[in-house]
Amino acid sequence: MTGQLRAAGRATAIALALLTVGPLLVLPVRALADVWRAPALLPQRWGTRGLEVVLAPGTGTATAITNSLVVAVATTVLAVVLAWPAARWLSTASARRRTPVLVVLALPLLVPPLAIGAGLAEWFLRLGLTRTLAGLVLAHLVAVLPYVVVVLAPGFTPAVHRAEEAARTLGAGRWQVLRLVSLPMLAPSLAVASLLGALVSWSQYGSSLGVGRGVPMLPLVLEPFLGRDPQVAATLSLVFLAPALVALAAATRRTSR
Amino acid sequence: MTRFRAVVPALAVTLLLFGGALAGAARTSVAPLPGQSPSLDAWRRVLGDPQFTESLLVTLGLAVVATLLSVLLAVPIAALLRGRRAVQTLVTLPVLLPHLLVAVVVVLWLGPGGLADRVVADLPQVVRAPSGAGVVLVYLLKEVPFLVLLLLAVWDDGVDQRVEVAATLGVGPLRALLTVVWPAVRAPLVLGAAVVMAFVLGFLQVPAVVGANDPVLLPVYAIDATRVRGLEGQADAAVALLVASGLALVLAAVAAVLARRLDGVRR
Repeated sequence: MTGQLRAAGRATAIALALLTVGPLLVLPVRALADVWRAPALLPQRWGTRGLEVVLAPGTGTATAITNSLVVAVATTVLAVVLAWPAARWLSTASARRRTPVLVVLALPLLVPPLAIGAGLAEWFLRLGLTRTLAGLVLAHLVAVLPYVVVVLAPGFTPAVHRAEEAARTLGAGRWQVLRLVSLPMLAPSLAVASLLGALVSWSQYGSSLGVGRGVPMLPLVLEPFLGRDPQVAATLSLVFLAPALVALAAATRRTSR
Repeated sequence: MTRFRAVVPALAVTLLLFGGALAGAARTSVAPLPGQSPSLDAWRRVLGDPQFTESLLVTLGLAVVATLLSVLLAVPIAALLRGRRAVQTLVTLPVLLPHLLVAVVVVLWLGPGGLADRVVADLPQVVRAPSGAGVVLVYLLKEVPFLVLLLLAVWDDGVDQRVEVAATLGVGPLRALLTVVWPAVRAPLVLGAAVVMAFVLGFLQVPAVVGANDPVLLPVYAIDATRVRGLEGQADAAVALLVASGLALVLAAVAAVLARRLDGVRR
């Protein structure tokens, strides 16, 4: 009876996994369907028209992908630089001191991203930062920073603190400790935090709309294509999906170790 | 021992950008034009607009429904996935996906002429349904995995061991779930639910793609105002967004107090 229950549980879990991942397969099929009229279940003509439109000059899609990539990388680098000392402090602080800091860092996640974007635009307009990638980086930073801090903090284990202390005792300078001890020991946490930070920036919609005010960003150019040309929307969605698949591959590698 | 000053740059940047954003939105709501003397016209206009009231109520209603359903589904799914690492990775994949991408996949499957529509004729439409079913579905697909991940993080071996002890004492699985597992996971779950609710209240991309055209959700109300009514609309949008922000922050504060109490009860 217990064996049967366990088998049923396993089957349900696998069915859930298939139900989660399976629907995503519509994206490559739709992206490669040059002609797919209803009610046919398979495309009448396969082709790469979607990709050609995405890469064509003048549509702004290639620029949007580049912009999103540049902003995601810049935001993540900035977030890691700010998060590193904060995460180190959080790893040793008492729960009483840690909680209010985490609450302040997480506050921006609760507010509509469009409110953050539109509110920042009010000041950025005066500073010449609206419609710029620098302005977008600052707007994304508010959302990315808490995730990077929270993921990075558990990486600063007592073993890391002890190794840093030992290196200092042996005469290593601040940069030597960072380069030779902290960075190698924190590499896995840093990789996960950076990947997650880049994903959060990559997905930003409301804040990009508020501050960017017309700067092409991937999610903003994708959405109108959904009604106009689903093949292009599906092609752009595959680009939009790519970083998540990289993260999944990294997570699977970690799980299988 | 790291000193507190290490956290100051991150805190300062957050407070400056977040505080600045809210102050900027508040300023737009009372004086959308530079040099304009402040007035509460936009607040009166929006708070007196029946369309805004309807948007607010519908948004709140859908936020409650999506959050409750997410919690109700996440608990048994987390129970099912305990100890199944490979399946966990796949089921929690949507946590990594952008909300917009999930909405696009829902439209390609369930929208007019979508794949599901081709397989099963006369399927009830969820995309842009006035009931808000499309919005709820997208949030369920995104947030159930998020809550499952959160539950799996706190549902540790200690909890399993207590369940086993309960089983040897003759406690059934359902009672063990309610008396052993639930007290261990309810506090983080309440906080997670507050985050889900804040997402439903604030994200524009989901209702913009799958939401009903009438009544629209609050973020869509805000963006429509800026597109249709120019500068005056920007002030109206700021009011709507500030109301949504206030609601999300109050709900999160209530959740934090509740979580603390629940955690206290457990200890």
